[in-house]
Amino acid sequence: MSIFCEYCNNLVSCPTNETANSTSLTKDLEHSFVTQLEENQNIVHKICRLYTNDQESHNDLFQEITIQLWKAFPKFRGDSKFSTWMYRVALNTAITLYRKKKRRIDTASFESVSFKIKAEPYDDTIEEQLKLMYSAVKTLNDIDKALVFLYLEDKNYKEISETLGITEVNARVKMNRIKGKLRNILNP
Amino acid sequence: MDELELLKKDWQSREQELPKLSYSDIYQMLLKKSSSIVKWIFYISIAEIIFWTLLAVVIPNVSENFKISNRINDAMGLHNILIVLNIINYLVFGAFIYLFYKNHRSVKVTDSVKQLMKNILKTRKTVKYFVIYNVGATTLIMLAINIYYYINQEQLYALMVQNFDGYSAISQEGFASVFFLAQFIFGLLFIGLILLFYRIVYGILLRRLKKNYKELKKIEV
Repeated sequence: MSIFCEYCNNLVSCPTNETANSTSLTKDLEHSFVTQLEENQNIVHKICRLYTNDQESHNDLFQEITIQLWKAFPKFRGDSKFSTWMYRVALNTAITLYRKKKRRIDTASFESVSFKIKAEPYDDTIEEQLKLMYSAVKTLNDIDKALVFLYLEDKNYKEISETLGITEVNARVKMNRIKGKLRNILNP
Repeated sequence: MDELELLKKDWQSREQELPKLSYSDIYQMLLKKSSSIVKWIFYISIAEIIFWTLLAVVIPNVSENFKISNRINDAMGLHNILIVLNIINYLVFGAFIYLFYKNHRSVKVTDSVKQLMKNILKTRKTVKYFVIYNVGATTLIMLAINIYYYINQEQLYALMVQNFDGYSAISQEGFASVFFLAQFIFGLLFIGLILLFYRIVYGILLRRLKKNYKELKKIEV
């Protein structure tokens, strides 16, 4: 028998009904995954921006996170939001699974990517401060970066602690220390 | 205003500057292969298990030299004890392979950052112990057999002369010093190579992971 793929409209030929069913199931899964990732891709881009310094590494990390998300997707149950689930898998990939390749650090593209500050709403000193803040965050270690990232994403301490696997109290204490660290860099 | 609050405001107002990938861009990515640390550790671990299994199980049964050395060991009265040691060895192998499989299954990318790191390091540790066990057991057995040979030098010399043609030309003293020196150098070289392999391969793979794990544990202190 032959069927038409409901997404790409191509003719799909299958020898048996069973194969047809499993093919369309895989297609469903793929479609649902790609659509949701497309909608939420900002989260992944932000993590890539924080953990890599050039466009090529950014793409590499994005690729690896996508694969890890896809591998874990069949076990994703709708009991948490897709985005919440994404934070965890994406951060795990960036911090633990991703193998940084040795590359010349391209400072030019790093500047242009990270410091494109919109000029209008801020005056020069604020803009300068923000620049410094971004570069300060970039110098933090992988774990501190994850805390700052989740904080910037407006996650509460409960979520932060659960994502990292530490207690809520310790997450708070650590965050205050990082704030102090950043303040020192900003106002030496 | 708090500095980080300032950053937060700015951070959230910059979403539109991020790159946008299309449906088909993302779809293409699903077809690519992962190159994560876990995958590498998995492949290297499997290679190690196969390597040691080959070394311990297959070679003694295939190689001619080993057959002769088995015959010599049998003649020296080591037959039964070597069989017992072999059985113990296979049991320990089985246990290690089971543990490795179990640990590897527990590595889940949906765990918390800390738990994930812990599980990866645990998988790694199993294989590390497996290799330590192998190096240790090999060293001990080689040492024990050589001591036994040393004590029973005359019998060994007689057997060697019987099995290999060239040996009758060498005196017993000359044979003993060359034989034991060769065994010793081979043993050292072997252990040295294994250790070097470990430093290089896992040093590269695990450096960052270990550093981050330490960082996370520091938070809890």
